[in-house]
Amino acid sequence: MLDKRKLILAALMLSSALGGASIMASAEDVKRGGTLTLARPDEALTFDPFTPSDNGSIYNIMQVCEPLIIADASGTGLEPSLAESWTVSADGLTYDLKLRPGVKFSNGKPLTVEDAIFSMQKVSDPKASFGFAFDAVKSFDKVDDSTLRITLKRPYSALESALSLFAASIVSKADFEKDPAAFGQKPVCTGPFQVESYERGTQVVLVPNPNYWRKGADGKPLPYLDKVVLKYVPESNSRVLGLQNGDFDAVLAVPLNQAAQVKTMDGVTLEVAPSYRLDYVYLNHGKKPFDDKRMRLAINYAANRDAIMKAVYFGYGEQPNSYMPKVNFWSDKVAKIPYDIEKAKALVKEAGYDGTPIQLMVDTGNAPFRTAATVLQQGWQQAGLKVEIVEYDVGTAFSMTQKGEYQAYVSYITSDINDDDELASIQADGTGPTAAFFSNYKNEEVTKLLAQARETGDKAKRAELYGKVQDIVYNDAYSVPLNFLPYVNGYRNTVKNWRNITVGWWWLRDVWLDK
Amino acid sequence: MQILHYIVARCLHAVPVLIGVTIVVFLSIHLVPGDPIRIMMHGRIADSEVAKIYHDLGMDRPILLQYVVFLKNALAGDLGMSLIQKAPVTTLVVEKLWPTLMLLAFSTALSVLIAVPLSLLAAFRRNSWLDTAIRLGSIIGFAMPSYWIGLLLMLFFGLLLGWLPISGLGDTPLDRLRHLFMPSLTIAFFLAPILLQSLRSAMLDVLTSEHIEVARAKGLSEWRILTKHVLRNAMIPVITVLAVNISWLLSGAVVVEYVFGLPGLGSLLVRSVGYRDYPLIQGLAFVFGVLVIIVNLLADLSYMLIDRRVLRS
Repeated sequence: MLDKRKLILAALMLSSALGGASIMASAEDVKRGGTLTLARPDEALTFDPFTPSDNGSIYNIMQVCEPLIIADASGTGLEPSLAESWTVSADGLTYDLKLRPGVKFSNGKPLTVEDAIFSMQKVSDPKASFGFAFDAVKSFDKVDDSTLRITLKRPYSALESALSLFAASIVSKADFEKDPAAFGQKPVCTGPFQVESYERGTQVVLVPNPNYWRKGADGKPLPYLDKVVLKYVPESNSRVLGLQNGDFDAVLAVPLNQAAQVKTMDGVTLEVAPSYRLDYVYLNHGKKPFDDKRMRLAINYAANRDAIMKAVYFGYGEQPNSYMPKVNFWSDKVAKIPYDIEKAKALVKEAGYDGTPIQLMVDTGNAPFRTAATVLQQGWQQAGLKVEIVEYDVGTAFSMTQKGEYQAYVSYITSDINDDDELASIQADGTGPTAAFFSNYKNEEVTKLLAQARETGDKAKRAELYGKVQDIVYNDAYSVPLNFLPYVNGYRNTVKNWRNITVGWWWLRDVWLDK
Repeated sequence: MQILHYIVARCLHAVPVLIGVTIVVFLSIHLVPGDPIRIMMHGRIADSEVAKIYHDLGMDRPILLQYVVFLKNALAGDLGMSLIQKAPVTTLVVEKLWPTLMLLAFSTALSVLIAVPLSLLAAFRRNSWLDTAIRLGSIIGFAMPSYWIGLLLMLFFGLLLGWLPISGLGDTPLDRLRHLFMPSLTIAFFLAPILLQSLRSAMLDVLTSEHIEVARAKGLSEWRILTKHVLRNAMIPVITVLAVNISWLLSGAVVVEYVFGLPGLGSLLVRSVGYRDYPLIQGLAFVFGVLVIIVNLLADLSYMLIDRRVLRS
């Protein structure tokens, strides 16, 4: 008996010693201090979360401002942020969010429900860029000093994801109203960093927010870094050279034709991270010849995706089986359309192709897409089609696409949130404001299924519904999907905890330097 | 007094030039398809919302009316607000003006430093193998694309030797010189050859003229001939070449600023055109126009200093 007790006692002591040691180990593992220099291909245009925005700004804003609910460490899930917890009513129409106590803005003022209501009203304004994500919301109200109530007009299962949008960041109402223009230069938010200096077109320098609420592995407040320099370096060769000679600690968007070289660099790691991006050929279902489903299927059968994967993407990515990126409810059950020139030829004949020349549009200066277009042209010509490649500057090309003045356009799409609803609806719902993202695609069954998926909170049911939509839309040959393109970045081995999350950015609050 | 008259006359000349430049830019950029709001939003905005935004900004009024409003404000010193960067155009332009001016000044200085000695050598040893080698080398340098030269310099000085930083502008004045060396050298690769050719032929003209024969007969040393006569007379074509090529220099600066990540007017122009940021494009066209006019005015003024005969005419 004594032995058994001694054994248990010994076991307890051992486990607590180990447990203590592991806590101490992780606290000692993390090193505080240092400056991280990150080279980005996009420039930040503003720090105002509410203005129409671009990735250059969004990714920077996420280091400084925080929403109520936030993307988790991988980007595919959600976790509490400024809202510590929330409850949903049985009918799904009322959400009560409890604000995290003790949170202060970077200027020391406490976070209040009024700040939350102000921010939410700004983002949900129908005129605002992400107003559509809050279309189902009836009102934002204060329940008490620490609780915010969101009342919906109808059930909306993607609300939590919508609340995690960068545009739904909670800002200091007083500071924003005092001078919105200055706020765009030096925001007052609750995030891990604050802006020390912002030189447009050059760089942004971030320093820690002394009042930040999250704690690190060592029990002290995050972030670990002393300083972050986000440099705007649009030329991809400069980014790679800078990584090699140590000017930059991390660089984004390594051109795929240099990825192998970056892999072999001393002291450097190549990161290939999953993304919510799909490269595909937009098709205009409202114009000949792609108003005919057989023609659209034919060009899918005639698309040599293996060749494209090799020549354009150097093997990085995955051949897609969907019309939209791999967001959370992606189905692996939809079978890919194979490369089959004979089938393509048969379909072209069956559709009675009348020789209408096809203009395959590409952005000028985009070499990978130009190569993809060339490979596609070869396959499509083999199938009996007349194809010419035309190049326009990206703004012009996009404008023509929006006006419906195109037949096929090699481009891509990304999802801003980790919920299928945003893109599934934008791309496939023909009754929406963008004509199914400029494809003029209309399928009533799909519209019905999407509405159902939007309103039910049952994850399994949503997965089934989005899977069905994916199957129908993909096999309607909505587009010619090319690649689930991952993020390909490079960073020095001294940079720890670096990770590009699926929704697009990186959490610099957890990054530390082993120098 | 004469100089003052001259300057005032030239300034008056400048006004129609500026109007011409800005009107052409205004009309052409508005004719190009694509609009800033839809481009920024990647199409994820309803047509009615876009229409409302443009109405609030006054951008749905007739083109010529918008131009007149722009001109009226510009002459009062207000170049408007950038649509994309949410800041006054004048602020943006002033922020980016100094890097571009520094780049142009440094490139010009480097080009002159390279071209003058080489052209002297070529002129004095004309038709020798040295002369031929210099002229051949300069044509090859001129023919190479700036983008490629820039990258080669980056690889060599930045990576291989590690002597120079490969992007950005730097902080302290000395640091700036280090950062600007490669970009300026890249521009010098196409400016120095132009200078060299003009200098060489100007020098040859002077060297074979009668007053040089007289100078030599008087017993003047080659060095005195060089500094007192040849160089002085050759400065006029140099200034002409530089002034005439300022516009090419500005466009060269666009490529170089992009490759080396310099925050100047060139890269600002590229981005603003890509975004269709109309007020910023207009403001930049106005500033470039003023820059070219000022450079040409300074060139004409310096002719007067070098050669008094110009004033009399």
